[in-house]
Amino acid sequence: MTTVRPAEPVLEAKGLKASYGPIQVIHGIDFVVNQGEVVVILGANGAGKTTTLRAISGMIDTGGSVKLNGEEIVGKNSADVVRRGVAHVPQGRGTFPELTVEENLRVGAYVAPKSANLEEDMQYWYDQYPVLYERREQTAGSLSGGEQQMLAVSRALMSHPKLLLLDEPSLGLAPLIVEGLFEQFAKLNKERGMTLLVVEQNAHLALGIANRGYVLESGEIAISGEASELMNNDAIRKAYLGV
Amino acid sequence: MQLFLQRVIDGLTNGSAYALVAVALVLIFKATTLINFAQGEQAMLGAFFALQLWMWGVPMWGAVIISMILSALLAALIERTLIRPFDPSDHLPLVIVTLGLFLGINALAGLIWRFDPWRFPELFPSGVAFSIGGANVTWYAVCTVLSAIVILGSLQLLLSRTKIGLAFRAVSSNLESSQLVGIRVGPTLQFGWALAAAVGTLGASIYVANPVLSIEPTVMLTVLVFAASAAALGGLDSLWGALAGGLGIGFIQSLLVQYAPFIPTELSLLTAVVVLLVVLFFRPAGFFGTAAVERV
Amino acid sequence: MAARIITAGSTEHRNYKLIVGGLGVLAFILFAFAYIDTASLEIAGNKYNLSIIRVNKAIAFAIAILGLQVIVGYTGQLALGQSFFFGMGAYITAWLVADHSWPYLLTLIVVVPACFIVGMILGIPALRVKGLYLALITLGLAAVFPSLVKLDALSDYTNGAGGKSVSESKLIPPGWLGGGVDAPRGTISNLDRFAEFLQTFPVVGGFFGDGPLSSREEERMWKLILLTLMLVACCWLVSNLIQSRPGRAMRAVRDNETGAAVSGINLASTKTLAFGVASALGGVGGTAYVMEVGIASPDDFAQVIAILFIVGLVVGGVGTISGAIVGAFVIVFVPDWSSSTQELPIVPERWLQGPTGSLILGAGLILLTFVLPGGIVAAYRRLKARFIQIVPGVPTMPSMAAAAEAAIDTTGVDTPTAQEPTGV
Repeated sequence: MTTVRPAEPVLEAKGLKASYGPIQVIHGIDFVVNQGEVVVILGANGAGKTTTLRAISGMIDTGGSVKLNGEEIVGKNSADVVRRGVAHVPQGRGTFPELTVEENLRVGAYVAPKSANLEEDMQYWYDQYPVLYERREQTAGSLSGGEQQMLAVSRALMSHPKLLLLDEPSLGLAPLIVEGLFEQFAKLNKERGMTLLVVEQNAHLALGIANRGYVLESGEIAISGEASELMNNDAIRKAYLGV
Repeated sequence: MQLFLQRVIDGLTNGSAYALVAVALVLIFKATTLINFAQGEQAMLGAFFALQLWMWGVPMWGAVIISMILSALLAALIERTLIRPFDPSDHLPLVIVTLGLFLGINALAGLIWRFDPWRFPELFPSGVAFSIGGANVTWYAVCTVLSAIVILGSLQLLLSRTKIGLAFRAVSSNLESSQLVGIRVGPTLQFGWALAAAVGTLGASIYVANPVLSIEPTVMLTVLVFAASAAALGGLDSLWGALAGGLGIGFIQSLLVQYAPFIPTELSLLTAVVVLLVVLFFRPAGFFGTAAVERV
Repeated sequence: MAARIITAGSTEHRNYKLIVGGLGVLAFILFAFAYIDTASLEIAGNKYNLSIIRVNKAIAFAIAILGLQVIVGYTGQLALGQSFFFGMGAYITAWLVADHSWPYLLTLIVVVPACFIVGMILGIPALRVKGLYLALITLGLAAVFPSLVKLDALSDYTNGAGGKSVSESKLIPPGWLGGGVDAPRGTISNLDRFAEFLQTFPVVGGFFGDGPLSSREEERMWKLILLTLMLVACCWLVSNLIQSRPGRAMRAVRDNETGAAVSGINLASTKTLAFGVASALGGVGGTAYVMEVGIASPDDFAQVIAILFIVGLVVGGVGTISGAIVGAFVIVFVPDWSSSTQELPIVPERWLQGPTGSLILGAGLILLTFVLPGGIVAAYRRLKARFIQIVPGVPTMPSMAAAAEAAIDTTGVDTPTAQEPTGV
């Protein structure tokens, strides 16, 4: 596959609101993820980054509008959103610890299109991450953090999504492993044309692979722009890049 | 020695029946960390369905299979209407609902079939299959133990080789992630309830088909206690653990009755409760389980 | 209609409490005399008994359910095997009265500490396991109790499957109230005088029977008085416990265990205390039960009784004191009246013979969990709030603490402010 530009929006959020019970966390935000883009959402702890992803996946009470390829998905449950082509790697990996690596991949293909070849897809990921192949009979719970993240990403992609949501993929991983992961994300985007929406605290890394970014503050979008602009934005440099 | 062997065989036979009900408990516990206190009563009702069908002229195994399907449908209905509306992490309402079911189903069976013992058709050939060291092994004993193993094996296959089985295990393992791979959690758990009820019904049918027993609405009250401690012994979330636990409990019960004359037959129930207490206290994950018991 | 608002602690509030209390006591007395023996109600050809025997039974159940309120309702621990302690109390009382000729009430000095200690010991696993595991263990214990008392080794004390009977020992009203032990036949006692006084009323006099009371009636009346006093005492103790420091600790454990622990509450001792108190109340309920029925027999303390207690707990209202009483009456009268119902239009007769009551209770329990999770008491409070609202007064400086308490109370914790003095 080759990258397709100029872009048509894969995901378009307008006035997106989200709340946990009575407490509203996201106060009506707008953002767009175009076909073939890597978009990053930055923000401090508690800014609502994870909540934004959970709202897209239909895991919490959500208001406003989110269109996936033009179709409204607010109000749909998670299973339906996933079936429409959104894969979500939640914070803390979200693997199935009691299932083997191979079973994790199989479950990942639960809503894969009929045209997909399960064995071939599995082999593709085993080739990408040989360590997963070595451990295919082991339970996911016995893998290291980095291996689990590889598995989580592979599993998410087994469903042939149109959009991949990544929630803090670097969390709790050694820097070297994180770098490898992000290289992989960049490769996914370039080689397979995968559209990515990444939530990350490590702004430097994330902006490094992103086309565009949004900065969330207290449930609202404070700044948005091209990745390179954000890299050079003084406020962001101070707050998130530590320079 | 002959007596000992006889006791072991009896223990294994009873234990296999406990194991089947224990497996039903385990199936639901695995997926939802809920103990279905009505499991025994659902199984009893299922066995009565089978009896009724048989009395209407359905061949006995056909009756059992139809009643397994009926029980499964009923359980699916129960899950959808009475269990799913509640927050799974809040235990009290769910315990209350299953206790309500316990009471209700027991009373319903009592109203329909009265509290009289009924002869259940013999599901297995009668008589002695073979003797070992002077102890007689009946066909019933052989078939019961084999049934337990066959059923567990098929369950194992179902859960590991089929799509729905894999989905069920995924939901058991990580609820949130299973939603994120597109599994519909509700129907998957409903499948678990249906499966558990079918297995429970088969277990109860086999249990009451014992030539020395009969079926009545109260028959599963004690069996549930045995099954629960078997499940706990096995770890509450392990299928084969439930089988091992069931055999263990049957074995302990059988030997105690024989060799500890100061413990009357009735107190075999107490041994089950003591096992339950000891296991949950000292080894909450049982001997095969992985679940971390909720601790303070 | 706007609700009438009464300020807590005002004269109006005091008058309100006095009126409600007074009406309650009056209703209790009238009830006691009216339904002293075999009063019954006839509806559509079915005869429903209202007799005191059932009321007394309900009172005994209420005390046991009160124990469940402490452990389940206020401490949030799913210890559901209350029939175990109910049976234990009943057997201890039966044994002491029958074999050692103790007076009934004196047996409480053994029952209370014995059940308290056994409850604490059996509660120890709960310090390690909780939630459903605890429910499983305690229901298992409840299942075991009948076979435990049938043990040969204990048959000298429990009389095995036949049950321990104390029927020859009677509860005789004291001389100033009833005829007394030595009173010759035909003596007119104060109870008789009061009954005859009630009988003189026009129209309603007929409800109160005819002529002086028989000695059996007097005994029943005396039992009702004693049991009611026991219940009131237990309610009072529990409501004080709940408001006290350990009681607040229990509620904190129920609402957020981790939060309670990090606030310095000792989880182990709080839970152990709750187990002890709950079990002791179960025992007292058992004593009350034996006082009424005169026998402790194994099957009266089967697992299904433990489940009935839970039905009472939920139907009445989890975490309320009055809920225990309401629930107890429901679990006594629903099965009783349903078995008295011999004919109903539409419903086939065979559905009325057998455990119809249990079916109703089971179905009702499930239904209530959906439509009315707070039980009957919550429904009553909601209804009452439409007519009368009691609000805390404006706090003055010294009573800030009291105001804070009141504020807590309005958030759903059971308040004993409007506690029914009769308990009925």
